[in-house]
Amino acid sequence: MQYALLIYEDETVYRDENGRAWREIIAQHEAFAAELAEKGLIRGGAGLKTANTATTVRRGAGQCGLHDGPFAESKEQLGGFYLIEVPDLDAALAWARKLPMAGDGSVEVRPVIDGTT
Amino acid sequence: MARSLLDQAARTHGGRVIAALAAKFRDLDLAEEAFAEACLNAAQAWPAFGAEGGGEPRDPAAWLYSVAQRRALDMLRRRGVRTRLVPDPPQPPPSAEDAMIDDARLIPDERLRLIFVCCHPAVAPDARAALTLRLVCGLSTQEIARAFLVAEPTLAQRLVRAKRKIAEAGVAFEVPGPEAWPERIGAVLSTLEIAYAKAHEDAAGAGQHAGYAKEMLDLTAVLADLLPDEPECLAFAALVRYAEARRPARLDEGGAMTPLSEQDPALWRRPLIDQAEALLHAAARRRHPGPRQLQAAIHAAWCSRASLDEPPPWPTVLALYDALLTWRDDAVVRLNRAVAVAEVSGPALALAEVDWLDSVAFRDFGPFHAVRADLLARLGRDGEALAAYDRALALDPAPAERLWLERRRGRAAHP
Repeated sequence: MQYALLIYEDETVYRDENGRAWREIIAQHEAFAAELAEKGLIRGGAGLKTANTATTVRRGAGQCGLHDGPFAESKEQLGGFYLIEVPDLDAALAWARKLPMAGDGSVEVRPVIDGTT
Repeated sequence: MARSLLDQAARTHGGRVIAALAAKFRDLDLAEEAFAEACLNAAQAWPAFGAEGGGEPRDPAAWLYSVAQRRALDMLRRRGVRTRLVPDPPQPPPSAEDAMIDDARLIPDERLRLIFVCCHPAVAPDARAALTLRLVCGLSTQEIARAFLVAEPTLAQRLVRAKRKIAEAGVAFEVPGPEAWPERIGAVLSTLEIAYAKAHEDAAGAGQHAGYAKEMLDLTAVLADLLPDEPECLAFAALVRYAEARRPARLDEGGAMTPLSEQDPALWRRPLIDQAEALLHAAARRRHPGPRQLQAAIHAAWCSRASLDEPPPWPTVLALYDALLTWRDDAVVRLNRAVAVAEVSGPALALAEVDWLDSVAFRDFGPFHAVRADLLARLGRDGEALAAYDRALALDPAPAERLWLERRRGRAAHP
């Protein structure tokens, strides 16, 4: 089964003076992705630029409006995702646990629609 | 005749058969449907067994399993027809001879696996116990709804949602590896605790939970057997045995509840107490204490009483509750502890502790009002005691509890 690991965290923890925290987490993600790739489990993924770069198209009552920020204003923001192929939920949860993260945050594990269900 | 035999067989073997089917086909709905169809088949086929045109196969569980397995394969084939358009040869219903041959087959016991599926942390907590009771213990939706005090449609919807989540999220039909046990066993034990609490509340054992008290003995035995290095599992199995051992003494001749300290130990079931003791000792040997071991130890303290001539073990019980508080500091533990405080240090101190508890959370909790009423009565505050008894009685206690409360209330009204 394919699962998306959606990473929600407080991006301010990576905003230090010399960008060290940022470089460190990127290196950790590279190692994490490399481990997934080595086991043949990775199907995709991306890191996202910070939430202040987001623009949201809101639809309501048949109208589209633009909003100069992320979908929801909250401390933890969607910061990136992995798409992995593993046998079951427990395996996906195990990878979600191992996912690098500098501060507090959450990893939402969502099965991917596979066309048969 | 065949009907009631069948109901009984479905009730007794449903959990094992559904668990085995779920493990084989990895689909809870399919397992349930196939089992239901097998029961329909049984209703027609079983009267053919036995000499007088009524009876059941030698091994009803194996019969139901092998027929349900065939029905499940039929269903899968039918599903395949829709997408692949392969013709589906109709299968005749099993003959009595088929069933005789099938009798020899063994059903693998997959209940533990099914419990882990039902109690997966991905399933909403309020659905875990319900799903376990439905699939593993074979209770009807109506019975579970009554036990959890929710409307039947609400509960049915909860079950549907939980099964859908298990299927769509890809929950594994496996007993998890040891590295996941601390978290997963916690969820399983909490679920079984909730399930057992419902069975235990009913002192008379005559209500809708009577059947699953026995099922809990069975399930906890399976759990303890398969996870012999998990002390909390062993302790929970011990706890259920201690509690069930005392069941014959929980009612007096008038049908009223008998409090633990007044129960005649001669009526307790010794073989269950012996089993419980062996389990609790095995747990202690692991040298990894936990809350369920302490709870079981409280039961053990009571069950070590040989006769009513021996003083009740209140000081030991109090010390164990003190230790339990370091694991589980919740209001119910504090309420139970207060009962022991009353016996060791007097009702005044106990009442102070009870009144310190959150009375809002306990507003609709009958035992809280019953304990308060008793303490107030012992302190001679009869007016307040009567009011507290009335609160407890207004919360619809089980018949045995009601009789006991009415008797105590009567004593407070005419001291």
